[in-house]
Amino acid sequence: MKTKSVKEPIRKKWIWVLLFINTLLIVPWYFPKSAVEPFIFGFPLWAFVSTFFTLVLGAYLSWLCLSQWNIVEDEEENAKGKGDVNHG
Amino acid sequence: MDKLVFAGMDGIIILSIFAIIMLVIGYFSGKGQTNLHHSLSGYYLAGRNLGFIALFFTLYATQYSGNTIVGYAPTGYRTGFSWLQSISFMTIIIGIYLLFAPRLYVVSKRRKFVTPTDWLEFRFKSKAVTLLSIFLMLWGLGNYLLEQLVAIGQAVAGMTGGTIPYEIAVVAFVLVMLTYEWMGGMKAVAFTDVMQGLVLMVGVFVFLAGALYLVGGSFSDVTRYIADNEPAKLGVPKMEVSVNWFSMLVLVGLGASIYPHAVQRIYSAESERTLKKSFARMAWMPPITTGLVFVVGICGIMLFPGLDTAGSEQLVGLMANKIAAINGFYYWMMIIFFGGIVAAIISTADSVLLSFSSMLSNDVYGKFVNPNASEHRKVMVGKIGGIIAIFFLLMIAWNPPGTLYQIFVLKFELLVQVFPAFVLGLYWKRLAAKPVFWGMLIGAVVAGLLTLTGYKTVFGIHGGVIGLTANFIICVVGSMLVTVSADESLKKEEMAVLELEA
Repeated sequence: MKTKSVKEPIRKKWIWVLLFINTLLIVPWYFPKSAVEPFIFGFPLWAFVSTFFTLVLGAYLSWLCLSQWNIVEDEEENAKGKGDVNHG
Repeated sequence: MDKLVFAGMDGIIILSIFAIIMLVIGYFSGKGQTNLHHSLSGYYLAGRNLGFIALFFTLYATQYSGNTIVGYAPTGYRTGFSWLQSISFMTIIIGIYLLFAPRLYVVSKRRKFVTPTDWLEFRFKSKAVTLLSIFLMLWGLGNYLLEQLVAIGQAVAGMTGGTIPYEIAVVAFVLVMLTYEWMGGMKAVAFTDVMQGLVLMVGVFVFLAGALYLVGGSFSDVTRYIADNEPAKLGVPKMEVSVNWFSMLVLVGLGASIYPHAVQRIYSAESERTLKKSFARMAWMPPITTGLVFVVGICGIMLFPGLDTAGSEQLVGLMANKIAAINGFYYWMMIIFFGGIVAAIISTADSVLLSFSSMLSNDVYGKFVNPNASEHRKVMVGKIGGIIAIFFLLMIAWNPPGTLYQIFVLKFELLVQVFPAFVLGLYWKRLAAKPVFWGMLIGAVVAGLLTLTGYKTVFGIHGGVIGLTANFIICVVGSMLVTVSADESLKKEEMAVLELEA
C-alpha cells in the first residue's frame, strides 16, 4: 500500500513552539520602563519591536498555510484536472 | 455623531448607488440558480464551491466590519500605542485556524456538514451538547448582529448629517441586505463581499492619507507631540496591560475562528488549495487594516486633544469632516469612505444573519422540530426566521449601548466556550460528551457571571478566558475519568472519517 505524504500543521510540534515564542515576543511584557526611546519611524522602541514581531507572525502564518498544509489538495487538483470533481 | 460638512444629498446619492450595486450583485448571484433555494448547502454554502477571490473577500469583509474603523480608532486614541494589540489579535486568528481548519475541511466535505452544529452532533451524538452549543452560538451571533445593526444606524446618520434619521437608515439597509440575501444566499453574500471589501480597503488607505496630511505629513511629529503632552500613551505598558493583551489574543483568536459564519466559510471553500491560499492572504491583512486604523487613532491624539470617552467615540466623524474640507478630491473620497464603512458593516451583518438562519433551518428546525421536512422547506424556515430575528433585534437596537467595544467582548465570552468541544473533538478520540457538556455549561456560567458582576477582567484576564480554562480542564479531566460504554463511543467507520490517510 502506498502511503501518501500528508502535511497537517497540528502534527508538527515545532510550528506551535515557534508560534508561542513569537507571541511572547509580540506582547511587551519583557521591556524595562525605559524602552520608550529612541523613536523609530515614529514608534517608541518597545512598540517598534512589538510591531516587528507582529509582522513576523503574519509572514510566518502565511508561509505555514502555503507550505505546511497539504491533505487532500493533490487528490482534489488531480480530480479537477480530469474534470470529475463536482462538489455540492 | 456631529453634523458632517460633507453630509446631506451627496451622501444619500453615494449610499443609494452602493445599495443598488449590492442589489444587482444579489440578483445576478441568484439568477438561473433553480437549485439554490431547494438545497441547504446550495443556499447556505454557495454549493461548497467558492473560488479564491470570493472566498478571500468574504473572509476579509466578514472579519473586518465597519466597527473595525469606527470603534478601533477611538480605542487607539484613548489607550495609545498599546492598542497595537489590535494588529496581533487579528493576525493570531489565522494561527488558530491552522489548529483545526485543515482537518475540519476534509471531514466537512466527507460528511456534507452545513452548520458547525452538524460537526458537534456527528462527533458527540448528544442532544444536550447539541442544544447547548446551538444556544451559545445563536446567542453570540444574535449579539454580534445586534452590534452591526446599531453601527449601521450610527454610520448612516453620521454620513448624512441626520438627513436620514437613524431608524430609517437602519431599516433601509436591512431591507437591501435581506433582499439580496433572499435572492442569492451565500453566493450573494460572498459576491457582495468582494465589492464591500474593496471599498473598505480603499477607504482605509485614503482616510489614513488624509489623517497624515492633517498632521503635517509626519507620524514622528505626532509621537513627539504625545511624548510631550500625554506620555502615558506611549510608555511601556504596565504588566496588567500585557496580561490583558495575552488574554485578548486567546479570546479573539479562539472566538473569532470558531464563529459559526467563519466555520461555514471553511465548509464553503471550493478546494483545499483555495482555502489555504485565502488564509495565507488573510494573514497579511491586519497590518493594512487594523494597523492603519491604529495610526489614524494615534494621529487623532494630536488633532483632537482632550476628548472624553463619549467624545472620542466620534473621532472618525470628526476627522472625516476635517479631511473632507481639504479639497474636492478628499471631499468625495470621504463620502465614498463613509459609504465603505456602511458597506463593511452590511458585509458582516449579512454573513452573520445567513449563519443565524442556517442554524435555525438546519439545527433548530431540521434536528428538533421537523427532521423530515424537505430541504426547500428548511431553507424557507431559516429565511423567514432570520427576518423575524432581525426585526426583534431592531427593537433592541433602538436603544444602543454606550460604546461599541463593550459588547464586542461580551459576545466572545460565551461563544468561545464551544471551542474545546469543537477542536479537541477533532483529534482526541476519548473526549466524551458528558464532560464536554458540563465544561461548556460551567465555562459559560463562569464567563457570564464574571462579566455581569462587573469582573469583565480579573488582573487583566477576561472572564471568558477564565471560563474557557475551567471548560478545558473539565473536558480533559472528565474524559480521562469517564469510561465510555460501547454504544456511546464512536463507531469504527465513523472514526475513519476523522482519519486522513486512506
